[in-house]
Amino acid sequence: MNTGTELWLFAVSLGASALGGTLGMASGIFIVPVLTIFGHFDIRSAIGASIVSVIACSCSSAAPFLKGRLTNVRLAIVLETATTAGALTGVLLAGTIPASYLFFIFGMILLLSAQQMLAKRRDPALAPTQPLMGRPTTRRLDSSYPDRALGRDIAYRVELLPMGLMLMYGAGLISALLGIGSGVLKVPAMDTTLRLPIKVSSATSNFMISVTAAASAGAYLVRGYIVAPIAGSVVLGSVVGAILGARVLMSISNDRIRLLFVVVLVALAAQMLLAAFNADLFRGPA
Amino acid sequence: MSTRTIKPGRIESLLAGVLNVGTWLASVAIFAGLVLSLFKRTPFPTGAQVITAGIGLFILLPILRVIVMLTIFLKERDYKFAAATAVVLLIIFAGFAIGILSK
Repeated sequence: MNTGTELWLFAVSLGASALGGTLGMASGIFIVPVLTIFGHFDIRSAIGASIVSVIACSCSSAAPFLKGRLTNVRLAIVLETATTAGALTGVLLAGTIPASYLFFIFGMILLLSAQQMLAKRRDPALAPTQPLMGRPTTRRLDSSYPDRALGRDIAYRVELLPMGLMLMYGAGLISALLGIGSGVLKVPAMDTTLRLPIKVSSATSNFMISVTAAASAGAYLVRGYIVAPIAGSVVLGSVVGAILGARVLMSISNDRIRLLFVVVLVALAAQMLLAAFNADLFRGPA
Repeated sequence: MSTRTIKPGRIESLLAGVLNVGTWLASVAIFAGLVLSLFKRTPFPTGAQVITAGIGLFILLPILRVIVMLTIFLKERDYKFAAATAVVLLIIFAGFAIGILSK
């Protein structure tokens, strides 16, 4: 591998991560398609590089949320029992699934992301359909977070935990299989079942991503999916991009980026689905 | 259930510190490795080896975070959450084991 390739990887990851960061998305969802479609990298080494960058982005952005007491660390560890178990299943499947299937699943996840990006996310904790009963909050999972806009602590409850755990298992599985943070599956899990305030679910989901990814990254490192020069450039680019992305988060009109994102996601989904039917069809399991 | 927490926010600031320092160390290692790999003939360690060390640090960082949480929960005698944390740790180690066995 030459210096040019490393620079290309660094720049592409920086761009993907900065763009993703502006809408609160992980970079992983762009890195694998870009590396495979434009860089012609093998999908497994793309996934290996991506999973490490997912860990890096989650770790590098966790601190402000923790200090702002938005992250519910107790809830995170409980949900992580499900996400890591899912990741373990993903690692087992990853060794046997043909590359064409990975392209196909990735395409579907991209379409799902596009659909989510179009739908406006409403704060489930404020939804009137879920009247809070007068039950005292006795469980240690329930907590409160300081709301800057209102200037006081907002208490919240964790609803429908078993259902949430099942969805988290699926999110962990997809995360390991595709090398993404799979926020696209965690968001509905948090919104429709646990019904947390958006700020809490974003912070907690981001906090969980690194541990979920570590469960599969260890296996991929040992298996040799993580190729040092590729992964190194991608990881460094993503970390720098995430920092830049967080800076511009508020300064550009969100609706316009949102639309741009939908177009990009659909285009990448089409490419990945095409690749699923064309490439690697006859390359057996790894 | 009585709460036996140490100061609220202690866990959070401790974890934030661990993650911040770890991110810096790992990023610097990867950067150093990439720079080293620009030079064709380097003695030990080679660029790729330093990059791999940085990547290894990044993978260890969440594991360290879980270990820190386990220690805190045990100290607080919060055994229910300590058990959940131990399960997460075991699953992550199982991931490594699967990787080695299926190599």
